[in-house]
Amino acid sequence: MALLEVNDLRTYFKTQEGTLKAVDGIDFNLEKGQAMGLAGESGCGKTTAALSIMKLLPANGYIAGGKINFMGQDMAKVTGDKLRAIRWRDISIIFQGAMNALNPVKRVGDQIVEPILLHERVDEEVALKRVKELFELVGINPNRIREYPHEFSGGMRQRVMIAMALACRPKLVICDEPTTALDVMIQAQILQLLKNLQSELELAMIIISHDLSVLAETCELLSIMYAGKIVERSSAVEVFANPQHPYTKGLIAAFPNIKGERRMPASIAGNPPNLINPPKGCRFSDRCYMAQAICKEKEPPLIEVLPAHFAACHFVQPRR
Amino acid sequence: MPKDLLVVKDLQVWFPVRRGFVESLASKEQRFVKAVDGVSFNIKEREIFCLVGESGCGKTTTGKAILRLVEPTGGNVKYAGPGLSKALMSEAANQAVQKKLTSVKDAQADLAAGIIDVRKLRKDKMKKLRQKMQMIFQDPYESLNPKQSIYDIVAEPLVVNNLGANEADREKRVMKALDDAGLRPPKDFMWRYPHEVSGGQRQRVGIAGALVLDPAFLVADEPVSMLDVSIRSEILKLMLDLREKKGLTYLFITHDLGVAYVFSDRIGIMYLGKIVELGPTEEVIKGPRHPYTKALISVVPKPDPRMKTEKIILKGERPDPAHIPPGCRFHPRCPYAMPVCKVKEPSPTFVSQEHWVSCWLESGEAKK
Repeated sequence: MALLEVNDLRTYFKTQEGTLKAVDGIDFNLEKGQAMGLAGESGCGKTTAALSIMKLLPANGYIAGGKINFMGQDMAKVTGDKLRAIRWRDISIIFQGAMNALNPVKRVGDQIVEPILLHERVDEEVALKRVKELFELVGINPNRIREYPHEFSGGMRQRVMIAMALACRPKLVICDEPTTALDVMIQAQILQLLKNLQSELELAMIIISHDLSVLAETCELLSIMYAGKIVERSSAVEVFANPQHPYTKGLIAAFPNIKGERRMPASIAGNPPNLINPPKGCRFSDRCYMAQAICKEKEPPLIEVLPAHFAACHFVQPRR
Repeated sequence: MPKDLLVVKDLQVWFPVRRGFVESLASKEQRFVKAVDGVSFNIKEREIFCLVGESGCGKTTTGKAILRLVEPTGGNVKYAGPGLSKALMSEAANQAVQKKLTSVKDAQADLAAGIIDVRKLRKDKMKKLRQKMQMIFQDPYESLNPKQSIYDIVAEPLVVNNLGANEADREKRVMKALDDAGLRPPKDFMWRYPHEVSGGQRQRVGIAGALVLDPAFLVADEPVSMLDVSIRSEILKLMLDLREKKGLTYLFITHDLGVAYVFSDRIGIMYLGKIVELGPTEEVIKGPRHPYTKALISVVPKPDPRMKTEKIILKGERPDPAHIPPGCRFHPRCPYAMPVCKVKEPSPTFVSQEHWVSCWLESGEAKK
């Protein structure tokens, strides 16, 4: 059985203008020790999908349907103490922008000790010893546990966040844009660290990013989201080598390749649709160069085009 | 051969570090944050020159110092484009001579060549000149006033500079600028507010605000870094089109080597307030000479998991510009650092006609 099975997940938001369907029926599986990338433009629902798994949605957001099966429990239904016991012990999250995610008036060591004391019956001394080990693991000098967040640089703060996420030895770590605010050199350091940790600790990871090249370097699996739906899903190598959906092709073509020829990358004209009243048919049809009459009428299902390679487009046929 | 539009020489921006009372009693030496510490380059007419570096390396401060949005503390900036009338230019030269900022001979030579010494201009003339030297800012979410309509945002430079005969004339100019920035038809956008348009359109509003004054030179500070990858190249293409149509010249500031690679003509790599390597874009990216450039290029993520390349990941983070290391400022992080690097600063060595690098490895002297 897979560690995480997401089936037909729907997460909606109540807004003044109506119900916003941020995530509208997505499926994926994740095995122990696997890393999956979730890619898409801003507002496509990738962060909402991840927050749904941890049930960290804002007050106006709710899970409207579907199942999130994590280690035999349906996270969509778990509440109260049961939920609290799973959060951070089994699933943890590295938030976007470590600058804002840490408490500025608490020593970093104490912030990391907190979840350990909450989840495990250990005394503070043991917990602090674990924090020191964690610091060593993520490449920070263990003597710095009594410092405050402002004494750390951006990259170091992100390492603190990673140490905190690993505090209770979780099985699944969600990384929400882990390197977006960082310089390329620090980004490379953090990505390498995440990769090493993943294989050392057999962590399952969901890495969320709008930057396909970051995911290409870190993930084995890749899901491409557009307007609340997964439009393509397969292994990362497969998606890059053999993209099926026009949106995926567009995203890949939008990257300048420093190792390749020097030319201006292509762009995808237009904007994503409004998710309060999503258009009928394929949601990408307005921006798609292949769109025909059928795309405006009927929504394409996610079909298995090649073994373990799924795409949702009227113009891809199963090839076997 | 196109002539130089802008020549920056030994540009320096030092910010004094505030000292505590006790420290000042101990009369310790005044320390400075050396944000820009001797930067020299030139930009030809219709050229896109790109400054690349990590955050805090001084690339944005360099851009601002050229427009004197922060005052340089040393060096000079010479501009040979439109902006001031002949009369104003000679008036400016006289004022500079009177204040003993320059010699009569230099002032006359500059005047004859149509060169404006930007650093020596008085405020009023700088304001006039700035109509032709504009800036595009990084974050279209922060740089637009949320309470102003797009019309008001784009018309503001006209109001500030007292341009446009009447309201109708201003409206015409605003519509032209919006159209040039690709917000078409302009009437659909003019009365909207920033939150009503997408990120890409917001950045176009920022560009329209710069274009409305009909500039010749633009400093573009990370204009696409906040945008989704799928719309970045639209904005870059717009900027290329504008260069074709209006003969614009750009100083493009970015931390993204991938964008610099596809967009610019020449590249300068900055580290801790200095340019360490400069040359034609393709030459620098395909044949980097400075260890820092090599490392930066190696860590740019490749958009393909099948491409596995050797990464040179530098240890640690860039040092603080208030404590610049002696010798070559890159030596504490350099994998090839030699004894000489710790004591003596390397000077630029040309490796081809237009490509130079400041590194002891490339300098003949160290090899002796």
